[in-house]
Amino acid sequence: MVNLPELHRRSFLRTLSLGALAVIGQSAIGRSGRLFALAPSGTGPDDPEVPNEIVAKALKDRFGDRPIRRGHVQLDMPAVAEDGRVVPVIIESDLPSTGDQYVKAVHLFVDHNPDVHVAGFYLTPALGRLSLSTRIKMKRTTWVRAIAETSTGELWGNYAHVLVTLNGCG
Amino acid sequence: MPASTIGDARIRIPDRIGRGDTIIVNSIVSHPMDTGFFRTRDGDPIPAYFIAEVTVSYADREILRCEWTSGISRDPVLTFALTADKEGLLTMVWKDNKGATYHQTVTIAFTAA
Repeated sequence: MVNLPELHRRSFLRTLSLGALAVIGQSAIGRSGRLFALAPSGTGPDDPEVPNEIVAKALKDRFGDRPIRRGHVQLDMPAVAEDGRVVPVIIESDLPSTGDQYVKAVHLFVDHNPDVHVAGFYLTPALGRLSLSTRIKMKRTTWVRAIAETSTGELWGNYAHVLVTLNGCG
Repeated sequence: MPASTIGDARIRIPDRIGRGDTIIVNSIVSHPMDTGFFRTRDGDPIPAYFIAEVTVSYADREILRCEWTSGISRDPVLTFALTADKEGLLTMVWKDNKGATYHQTVTIAFTAA
């Protein structure tokens, strides 16, 4: 290590810290005017509203160009899955299920699985309120999507980010 | 591999059911759910072998149908809510990608209040 004279070292550090502060300040204000805007709030890494190419194609093949709105569907999954071979999934919804107003299908997608469309459930109003659960495999840390299609053709979805520590797909 | 054989299936419903109750139905079937991506220790590929379709009927009407892939875990479980408004049989049929089917039935009967 080079032995810098004491004065030299101190002024160097001062300059460095001032420079760093300026950079942090600029980036924080530049993003949204808030100081703690460095991480996007709530959603976790990446934006699930912007699926990757494969998922986007799978969604388009199944639903066409109909918009998928977020809400009315609860997707309950662990934030951290220790074993990607067995990841519990619970899907619930507050959408009505009476007469001709009901959820006719629920589709489950896992963004980075070899087959992104993991399961489709086709329902009838005889079931009553929507509550489904099963266990799925996940290849790696990614987003899981549950999308409900109503009898009137509306699409409602929700997303969960799951951290996978053991690959469940080989 | 557990000792249970492929296709062993169980359905669990509550002991006491009143007319109109929303009940939770639990089911499990023994199946390896092989994806086709793995090999044996000797290097031979393990072909895809999984439950592809599940149908649930209640009092002779189909109420739920599932399209599954090998992305569902081994020994697949399926749990769902059901409004018990009729007495009758609840039948589940699991069909795998090799064409085999596995059945299980429970009787839904109301307990006197």
